[in-house]
Amino acid sequence: MVRKLLIGLAVFFVGFVVLLPVISIFNRAFADGLGAYWTAVSDPETVFAIRLTIITALIVLPINVVFGIAAAWALARFEFPGRRALLVIIESPFAVSPVVAGLCFLLIYGAYGPVGGVLANYNIQLMFNLTGIVLVSAFITCPFVVREVMPVLMVTGRDEEKAALTLGASGFQMFRLIVLPNISWGLAYGVILSAARAMGEFGAVSVVSGTIRGQTMTLPLQIELLYNNYNATGAFAAATLLTGLALLTLAMRAVVTYFGPRKEAHA
Amino acid sequence: MTFQIRDIEKSFGDTEVLKGVSLDIAPGEFVALLGPSGSGKTTLLNIIAGLLFPEKGTLHFDGEDVTLTPAGKRRFGMVFQSYALFRHMTVEQNIAFGLRVMDRGSRPSKGEIADRVSELLEMIELPRLGDRYPAQLSGGQRQRVAMARALAINPRLLLMDEPFSALDAQVRVSLRNSVRELQQKVGVSAILVTHDQAEAFSLADRIAVMDQGRIVEYDRPENLKQFGQEVPQPRQLMGAA
Repeated sequence: MVRKLLIGLAVFFVGFVVLLPVISIFNRAFADGLGAYWTAVSDPETVFAIRLTIITALIVLPINVVFGIAAAWALARFEFPGRRALLVIIESPFAVSPVVAGLCFLLIYGAYGPVGGVLANYNIQLMFNLTGIVLVSAFITCPFVVREVMPVLMVTGRDEEKAALTLGASGFQMFRLIVLPNISWGLAYGVILSAARAMGEFGAVSVVSGTIRGQTMTLPLQIELLYNNYNATGAFAAATLLTGLALLTLAMRAVVTYFGPRKEAHA
Repeated sequence: MTFQIRDIEKSFGDTEVLKGVSLDIAPGEFVALLGPSGSGKTTLLNIIAGLLFPEKGTLHFDGEDVTLTPAGKRRFGMVFQSYALFRHMTVEQNIAFGLRVMDRGSRPSKGEIADRVSELLEMIELPRLGDRYPAQLSGGQRQRVAMARALAINPRLLLMDEPFSALDAQVRVSLRNSVRELQQKVGVSAILVTHDQAEAFSLADRIAVMDQGRIVEYDRPENLKQFGQEVPQPRQLMGAA
């Protein structure tokens, strides 16, 4: 009885809190018909926002992969002074509110900040443009790759790496032939989570982007703008795109989990 | 073709793990490093392999100073306690690894590598298991693959770190003999790290008994003074002294 009650409660909760909102997004977006939906989605400003969002993700992801692997490697394989501090710094985006993070960036890299002020003398502007959006997105998403790759590195491979070295592999060969295949699923998982977060981030980006129409509007910012301008169809149509990206991420995550951790691991 | 270990010292932090270890190994000789855990035998093996470097002392192979030579340049084959097979590679790919990563100049052709791999598979008596993954093999089979992988690079010295400890007693005894046979067939000097007295006595030409970072005895099994009595607990040697 209790069991049924709990299951029922869980189903009810998932239905109302997760499924219903997602369905309602699509429902509202198509409420005025397919034509209206298409007009809203193909609006130049919305198309621009999609492009900016994807460009940002494409710049941020490789940065996160390279530095994430390097950091995970250092943290998993070496003991060094400041190791714990480094881990805390890398995880700080989880703890800090994105808006606060955005304000910090603005304070330091803005035209009146210590770094931004100096650069302003050379006509270099970091905030209120793509650079600012990329910087803050990279900050927000930096824990994901490290968090996914580090545990895999901790539990696997140390002996395999040594074996590769005694067999004559160079450091690079060891990384490419032994380490990379071992961490590949963790890495894929981290990249997917980073991508989802980079594309969906609102708070931090809204602070540093300055929300300049047609210039620094990412998809989440564009959705808010449309909604505040009483363009509900436009807002929800754009929201379906973001939801679509999120669902795609979830699907990829499921694929990774399904094919994931190799069954031929050591017994 | 002799291998000379001279006055090796190694510490981890404040702990002295090796306190001046010297050892000579003759060509083709099978030497066992016997001692309880914590005696420094695995550290010594890692130093010989080039995975660790000593604070003091030297390693000479055939007169060549290899103390600071990186592991990959020593051409010492190593068999790990966990076997350390590459789990994402087939048995064939595992065995071929050391040949595949050679410099372009000295690397054998694809055909030569394939020939060498099947020759080794034949030698370890697993000729039909080349396309299996390590997880699909029994413990004894994995151990033999690890052996073949180490032998593939024509090692100048074969190093084995407790290679039988993860196997059940029956497999252990039969594998012991085949390892000895392989080593003699290839004619390579070998160093075996073990805490199992019976294993050391049945395999080795000479046994180095280690305790607390020193070699307390190094001789042929039949000449070991404490043979059958105190060797099983070398720790007591020091306690009595």
